[in-house]
Amino acid sequence: MKSKINNNIERIIALSEELRWQIGDDFHDNLAESIYADASKIVEDAVIKDNEKAKFRLDAKIDKIVTSKIWGFPIMLFILGIVLWLTIIGANYPSAMLASVLLDTFLPILKNTGEALGFPWWLSGFLFDGVYLAVAWVIAVMLPPMAIFFPLFTLLEDFGYLPRVAFNMDSLFKKSGAHGKQALTMSMGFGCNAAGVIATRIIDSPRERLIAIITNNFSLCNGRWPTQILLATIFIGAVVPESYSSFASLSAVIGIAVLGIFFMFFFSWALSKTVLKGEVSTFNLELPPYRPPVFWKTIYTSLIDRTIIVLWRAIVFAAPAGAVIWLISNIYVGNESIASWTIHSLDGFGFLLGLNGVILLAYIVAIPANEIVIPTILMLTVMVTGIHGGVGEGVMFELDSVTATAAILKAGGWTLLTAINVMLFSLLHNPCSTTIYTIYKETNSLKWTVIASVLPVVAGFIVTFLVAQIWRILIG
Amino acid sequence: MENKPKSACETCSHFNAEGLKKLGVRTVDFDFVIALAGNPNTGKSTVFNALTGLRQHTGNWPGKTVARAEGAFEYNNQKYKLVDLPGTYSLLSTSEDEEVARDFILFGKPTVTVIVVDASRLERNLNLVLQILEITNNAVLCLNLMDEAKRNHITIDTRILAKDLGIPVVPTSARFQEGIPELIQTISELANGKIQCKPHKIKSIPKNIEKSVQELSTAIEKEYPNISNSRWIAFRLLEGDTQIIEALRTGKIANNEI
Amino acid sequence: MNYSPITALVVFFGVSILLFFIFRPKKGIFFLVKKIYQQKDKTIIEDILKYLYHNQIANNTITTNDLTNTLSFSNAMIIESLNKMMDNELVVLEKDNYKLTTKGNEYALQIIRAHRLWEKYLSEKTGFHKAEWHERAEKKEHELSVVEIDKLSSLLGNPKFDPHGDPIPTSKGKIAKIKRGVPLSSLKENTIGKIIHIEDEPDIIYKQILAENIHLYSTVRVIENNTTRVIFHSEGEQFILAPIVAGNITVSVLEKDEVKEDDITRLSSLLLGETAKIIGLSKECRGENRRRLLDLGFVKGASIAIDLLNPLGDPKAYLIKGTSIALRKNQASKILINKNKNGK
Repeated sequence: MKSKINNNIERIIALSEELRWQIGDDFHDNLAESIYADASKIVEDAVIKDNEKAKFRLDAKIDKIVTSKIWGFPIMLFILGIVLWLTIIGANYPSAMLASVLLDTFLPILKNTGEALGFPWWLSGFLFDGVYLAVAWVIAVMLPPMAIFFPLFTLLEDFGYLPRVAFNMDSLFKKSGAHGKQALTMSMGFGCNAAGVIATRIIDSPRERLIAIITNNFSLCNGRWPTQILLATIFIGAVVPESYSSFASLSAVIGIAVLGIFFMFFFSWALSKTVLKGEVSTFNLELPPYRPPVFWKTIYTSLIDRTIIVLWRAIVFAAPAGAVIWLISNIYVGNESIASWTIHSLDGFGFLLGLNGVILLAYIVAIPANEIVIPTILMLTVMVTGIHGGVGEGVMFELDSVTATAAILKAGGWTLLTAINVMLFSLLHNPCSTTIYTIYKETNSLKWTVIASVLPVVAGFIVTFLVAQIWRILIG
Repeated sequence: MENKPKSACETCSHFNAEGLKKLGVRTVDFDFVIALAGNPNTGKSTVFNALTGLRQHTGNWPGKTVARAEGAFEYNNQKYKLVDLPGTYSLLSTSEDEEVARDFILFGKPTVTVIVVDASRLERNLNLVLQILEITNNAVLCLNLMDEAKRNHITIDTRILAKDLGIPVVPTSARFQEGIPELIQTISELANGKIQCKPHKIKSIPKNIEKSVQELSTAIEKEYPNISNSRWIAFRLLEGDTQIIEALRTGKIANNEI
Repeated sequence: MNYSPITALVVFFGVSILLFFIFRPKKGIFFLVKKIYQQKDKTIIEDILKYLYHNQIANNTITTNDLTNTLSFSNAMIIESLNKMMDNELVVLEKDNYKLTTKGNEYALQIIRAHRLWEKYLSEKTGFHKAEWHERAEKKEHELSVVEIDKLSSLLGNPKFDPHGDPIPTSKGKIAKIKRGVPLSSLKENTIGKIIHIEDEPDIIYKQILAENIHLYSTVRVIENNTTRVIFHSEGEQFILAPIVAGNITVSVLEKDEVKEDDITRLSSLLLGETAKIIGLSKECRGENRRRLLDLGFVKGASIAIDLLNPLGDPKAYLIKGTSIALRKNQASKILINKNKNGK
């Protein structure tokens, strides 16, 4: 019985192939046209449209302005600037508050509790100075900017402005083989690369989506802004007369972000010319009507949807990183801790890049979260140089005073070149583990995940290497 | 023609507010499966949230929901599982999201398919609606964003629309919770077989192609006498849809018999 | 330590240049080695078969010298392959001329089928540029097995024609008939024709045609034709080609009463404020792009107007079926319209 049915089915399939050959290549076109023909008949029947009144829409007026030659780009830059400014400046206070609560209040309480319960030093160190400290840092540095950035971004999104940005920017992106919507995933990346990678779902063309995913890391994310600002303030602000110093350091940070955009374009272009050449590439961009966002609901959902999820992932990754950092600096092999042994072996390579072993090790252990790079660098520098500072051997710390931080870094052998190269390397290095994980989930491909992770770090090695050599030849 | 579909206004008075419970993500032990389909950016996710009480994020931006979201509600002691399909312009192409949406309507066997459309862009939305009506018989048109249509001075005669499409039509403004009770009531009546649909079938197909479609669909019906969407399968075969051919071979299509 | 920044830079650039010479596309050592490795007997035999087939259609006779002069394999390899082919009864030698046997003919058709199907596949399912289709198919045709070819054909919906307008042989060796065409360069002034084939060899001329954005199956009207240039109108645009380039475009001449739409233009030429009706999509609009546009309502008879211009010029947003959809210029040029005469 079964085989008979299968024979019949094979006959149906054979019949369909025969008919298909007769109809030719136009079947799909004809079907689509027929459906639309039916649709217009139905609409004629059921819909009355007052065309005269419909013309004077508010939407059309807004559209004319936001896509105009004169106002289109200034409005865009202004809005992006405001969002970033609110995020960076606005996050300072809650960040400081969270840090003081989590680090100054809770940490001692935890330690005391540990002592009261009779924890041995290594357990208390591992749990509190390692795991807890890393998690607390990530929360303090990451939560406030995200809680400001994402709702703002979501409000713009709900209003319907973002597709217009993609529309305005498209021809720039087209030149590098990318999609205009990448302008948005890139901006989202300024908040958080993992969120930027998720946002690439709005790009429905496979090639352009992969480009957007792989190059998202070139957007300087929230976790990296503080590093840039700190280093620019200490080293770049110091080169110029004091009255210009804040301007100089601000320009340096913006310069780094712009450089990131440049690299994004460059690698988008390079990828679309090489490995991604064969991926299907389509373009269509719908400009939806504007809709007034439902304010509180938007705030709530963006907090739940984006902020909390990203934060949770970051915490999950930061906890083991904290553990590793504590372990490598407190486990001794012979006379040396693992950390100091690694630093010494990385020093040569670091020197070649205008960096040092401490910085490289910090970037290796801080793969889970960029936020803990500076605390880790400070801890490792104190450990290696043996100068006095911080809270104790093998414990991450950050200093309230910029001068004190500068003193430690300079004692660690930092020069202006080191600072510039760390700023460059902070822009050009592998994505954090949250982002790597997200890239894997979104692309479902080990190959693209590896490319997306390795590409920026190779770029970082080359750029810092070249800068270091040229600097040493020209300046010494 | 006794089973003429009713337009929403005739059914809305029956809505029983006491009988509604939004169940969020608790989707176990349901009586009916409801699929939610529609173009991108028609407020489909808002309708989903309004029905389930969930707060899935919806952006004013085509193509936000990529994965399938699920939720549930209870009405008159019956549990409905609601599946929010990715927003697509069509089911004829082969992109990933279209495949997810199509496979669910075809193989997931939803009791009712709710098709959410943007009232102010009805013509373009009907492209998807007419395709879905070729696949499934039990559907309701959720004419969403009525507020926007009004703002754009567009008036829609829902009775005529319901008659032309052969399925119930419910006007809503999901953002303001308007029309949601009527929608729930209509879903429940469809699920319990109180309303019978006689969905529109695509008519304007050129003669030579129509002949081939008929030849093929007759052959399919001969094999599966109870199949309701043989015409649609014929469309797919003529397009050389390898997945449908595979489904035909493995008999997956046969399970689709009603 | 003997480190100096200059040494470091020199070493770096040295390594970079070395890597470049090894891995650069086409001429790199890596690719040359790969190519030598791929030059198997099978490739040579199949290329000879194809060459013989095409020349047999054109009624040319082929000697050993013709083969060694045109094919880019060593003479020894070609002669060795020819001997093998005669042993296997694929070709016979008649008065110094090689001829395909029935078996050889069948084999040649299979290779051509593979080649054209692969070009069709590249045009429909991938993002590779037109200019690359031929070269990629040249490689792939030797790699596909008969089962794979049939699968590919089925996946593509058993197409009759490849993207250049050449017929694809069926698995049984059947070839769809094409209209007899003439080269565009032979058309007299004021004649109307339809482009039915664009030859993809030689590469240099093909790339020139591609750069002009001339579309397959578009209607052309010749304006001027002399020994220095051919000028013609197509889809509302004017094109000027050298006669040798125009000779690689095949057209079928249309009688005046066959021509239905004389004032077809491309959507890319629509101006703000004008309205138009869509005539259809050009055949050059393929694969996923074509289906997407149809889904969005760019179908025959739909009215269209510009909704928004772009500060940078491209893309433009078009109002279609009540929605604003942005399209890039190269997409808009593949949508054919008929402008409404009286402004609105």
